[in-house]
Amino acid sequence: MEGRPADDSDLIARAQRGDSAAYEEIVHRYQQIAFRTAYVVTGSAADAEDAAQEGFVKAYRALDRFRAGAELRPWLLRIVANEARNRLRSAGRRQRLELRLTEGFRPGDAAPSPEAVAVASDERRRLLEMVNALSQEDRLVIASRYFLQLSGEETAAALGIPQGTVKSRLSRALARLKARVEEAAHA
Amino acid sequence: MPELEDQLSALATAIAWPPSPPDLWGGVSRRLTEGQERGQGQGRRAPRWQTRWAFAAAAVLLIVATLLAYTPARDAIAGWLNLHTTIHRTENPPTPSPLPSGPLGARLELGTQTSLDGAQRQVGWSIVVPSSLGAPDEVYVKLPPSGPSGGMVTLVYTARPGIRTTGLTGVAVLVTEARGRINEQYFQKTLGGDVNIESVSVGGHSGFWISGQPHTFAFSDAEGNPYFDTLRLATDTLIFDNGGTLVRIEGQMSKEQAIQIARSMT
Repeated sequence: MEGRPADDSDLIARAQRGDSAAYEEIVHRYQQIAFRTAYVVTGSAADAEDAAQEGFVKAYRALDRFRAGAELRPWLLRIVANEARNRLRSAGRRQRLELRLTEGFRPGDAAPSPEAVAVASDERRRLLEMVNALSQEDRLVIASRYFLQLSGEETAAALGIPQGTVKSRLSRALARLKARVEEAAHA
Repeated sequence: MPELEDQLSALATAIAWPPSPPDLWGGVSRRLTEGQERGQGQGRRAPRWQTRWAFAAAAVLLIVATLLAYTPARDAIAGWLNLHTTIHRTENPPTPSPLPSGPLGARLELGTQTSLDGAQRQVGWSIVVPSSLGAPDEVYVKLPPSGPSGGMVTLVYTARPGIRTTGLTGVAVLVTEARGRINEQYFQKTLGGDVNIESVSVGGHSGFWISGQPHTFAFSDAEGNPYFDTLRLATDTLIFDNGGTLVRIEGQMSKEQAIQIARSMT
């Protein structure tokens, strides 16, 4: 057990046998992405925390149904995102997701990637404003795929739509964003 | 200029996400222990006649459950009520892999193997060895974070006179000790509804005889936090409070045999 961290399938097998420490490790491993995914769906940090917590509770109770050999992360994100959507439905409202930029890179952060450097900070801000100005549907798919860096399968899980729909929705959203970027460049 | 998609990917490192909750697990484990009553116990109040019928039905179920707890009556009543399917409790017993080699306890995930002295050096309370069983064949210690606060020690016994080894594990008796106490709020709940719980006394210490292949078990550890653990052998289990140390005895044996082992620890 010492040294190399246990892999997901090992943790799941242990959690399925009732080992709470193994499930705690799973929660620690995926809590950040679960919380952020729920935040993208609900637009509210409080709802996101609640949805992530409840999602992990439901996932624990459903562990017996987890297919051996399947990927854990999309399965978890689907449950958490479902919880997040339930909160939206029961509240009868949809908070508008407003993404902001950090004020530069703080000391101690990982060094910015070359791509990050390439996008000058002003340019970044303008681009994010344009993403924020898109429709909710477009914004969610872009945020899931690029900002949360979810896979196609995970994006489908987070948004509760088929994978094929993710592809078409994403390409339409990108086309609309691109049109706005070009429009701004000519203005 | 990078393509639009690259620019969007580059933004990922610069998004100001709201700070992640520092301790999601705390809330998750709390909800896991409290969840059932939150989900089912509250909500709409049933009309009076429904309540009355519910009481009557509950009383009948209670009587049946109590009768079923007595082994001699169990088969007859189960046959009468055609309940055989509900008392065959085979869902998710711990299933150790059938590997014949290696230490017995390693496959049961009991923690790190050590000696009795080694275990004693790592915990701040006294480990008690049942004198009726003698020195254990293997000893394991599980410390936080994977073990409960205060640590947990498991004594593993291979075949002992009058006690069969259990299934594929090659283990006859497991004696697990940890500082803590039974929290009645979730003791029964985490054991699940499929088990029979009987209060017993072990030389004046209070305990429970749990029959019907219990699976998960939770107790309050030394700091009062809930700790979930698996009952490893999927056999009947005796749990008792040995002066602040919670002792579990698992194995293919009768209640009397288990209590005899427990008594040799007090």
